[in-house]
Formats: sequence, structure tokens, C-alpha cells
Amino acid sequence: MNSFRVLEIKQSVFEDNDRDADLLRDELKKDKTFLLNLMSSPGSGKTTTVIRTIEALKDEMKIGVLEADIDSDVDAHTVSKTGTRVIQLHTGGMCHLDADMTRQGLNGLGTSGLDFVILENVGNLVCPAEFDTGASKNAMILSVPEGDDKPLKYPLMFSIVDVLLINKMDAIDYFDFDLEAVKERVKKLNPNIKVIPISAKKGEGMEEWAEWIRAEVKNWNQQ
Amino acid sequence: MHELGVVFEVIKNVENFAKKNGVTKIDTLVLQIGELSSMIPKYIEACYPAAVDGTFMQYTKLKIEILPGNGLCKKCSTVFNLMKNGGKCPGCRNEEWELLSGKEFMIKEIIAC
Repeated sequence: MNSFRVLEIKQSVFEDNDRDADLLRDELKKDKTFLLNLMSSPGSGKTTTVIRTIEALKDEMKIGVLEADIDSDVDAHTVSKTGTRVIQLHTGGMCHLDADMTRQGLNGLGTSGLDFVILENVGNLVCPAEFDTGASKNAMILSVPEGDDKPLKYPLMFSIVDVLLINKMDAIDYFDFDLEAVKERVKKLNPNIKVIPISAKKGEGMEEWAEWIRAEVKNWNQQ
Repeated sequence: MHELGVVFEVIKNVENFAKKNGVTKIDTLVLQIGELSSMIPKYIEACYPAAVDGTFMQYTKLKIEILPGNGLCKKCSTVFNLMKNGGKCPGCRNEEWELLSGKEFMIKEIIAC
């Protein structure tokens, strides 16, 4: 048995990915491409929000989209109708994207000349929160029908994002959704978070959202 | 079930470490998982054989150590186990605490042969 030796590693499992994500961020910075990682549950209106965002900003910046799903290309197809450069990533059963998969997607898309890339992550409030994709900023959507208790149930997701969009505000009268309670719960987890209520369908709040992106893209290119 | 993707990540990390340290064969891999981590030891164990199949860790045994989820009471500074006490300080019943441990997901060590 003396041929055995114990090697201490003492390393977080996410360490390699975190390092890779930092590298990717540096590359994006040099390319002057702002990458937004957009996360949410399935059915929260991510794709509709992406399309409205493109419509609001396409005349002032060059936009690309990475669509990540376990299977199918319906989202890429929908987004491609806007004339935006888009690529569909298949995770093949995986519930999240990591920095390496994001890099592969960006290479496939070709970021040269792009100012702003939206990464539509896999619809899931658990795993994507644990993996840094290398994005410049993280955003999530919580839609009204999902309920105001989600920050209590999925605290990690709400604590790592820079901005929270509360979507489907046009339907708020039909649900017991307490907007103030959500804001309070979220701020407790994440005091610096920006909360923007929107309706991607009706356009409410989209100007404030576009303004947030403008400021962040500008900031990213200046630093 | 998100453990499989994470186990792939573990294997990648261990492979890198092994390469750097000239290790070619590993007898046992020891992981440390916090009680409050979103990784469930039972599922890690269940998907481990499939994840290492065909890799240089195919015959490597897996051992998991559980780390306690402990909090420090913000009022009376008692250190207590959050799971056993339902998130309430056993001393003063206060529900505000600072997390000390329990979220870890670490590769602790490998036993190389």
C-alpha cells in the first residue's frame, strides 16, 4: 500500500470554469463586444423580450444572438426573422451553458463588428446560476404568472444577476403577484440589483430596459 | 438532475490536475459536498460510473464527504447547524445568521497509485 500517495487538490469544482470565464471576458473586452447572459424559467418570455430588445436597439448597435436550448431550433428561427445574426446552441441534455460552450457559440457566430450579443441561456433557474458564462453582465426575467415567491425558492439566481426584468406586467390583474414584495425579497438577497417591470408583448418598460443596455454597452467600451 | 454535467466538470478538473502533477492512475477521488449545496450526493454517485466510463478515471473509486451547513447567529454569535435547527438559532431563536459553511462543492484530494 505504500505505493499510494494522497495528493491534496482543495479546489472548487467551478474553479476551472471561473478562470475560463474571466479569460473570455477579457477577450470580449478587447473586441468591444458586450455579452449579456439572459436567464429565466421556461416560458417567461425570453425570446419575445429578445426580439423587442433587438427592435429597440438595432438602428444604433450591431447585435448578435446565441440561443441555447436542450434541443430544437425554434428560438433561433423566430429571432432570425428580425434579420439579426443568430446561432442555435444545443446543450444535448445539459441544463446550463459554461464558459467553454459560450466561447464555441461566439466563435460560431463571429463577434467581429458586433457591439452587443445576447446569450439566451437554457430555461432554468437552478444550474445556469452556478456557471459563469463569461458574460459582461447577467440578467434574468421573472414573469408574473410564475409567482412572487420565486426569489425565496431560487435565491442563488436572484443574488447573482445585475438586472431583473419582471415580464408580463400586462397580466398582473389576473394573478396574485405582489410587485413590491418581489422587490423587497430581491433587494434583501442582492442590494445592488436593478428591477425593471416590463411587458415584452405590449412594450411597457422596454425604453427603460433599452436605456440600461445602452449605458452598459457604453461603459463596457470605455473601461 | 444537473449532477451529470457537473461531474463532467469534476473530471475535467481532475484531468488537468493529474496532467500537471504527472499522475497517470488514480485509485480514489475524494469530493467534499456541503449540506446546503445544490449537488445531491446520491445523484452524484449514481451518474459517476457513466461519467467516467472510457476516461482514465474509469476504475477510480469515488468517496464523498459531507460538510455541515453551519450558521453564525447575528444576535448571540452561537454557531449552529442550519438544517437541524430549521434556520433558527437554538440559543435565542433569532432567524438572522451569517452562513459559515455548507455551500461547498470541492475536489478534496486524489489517492494516486
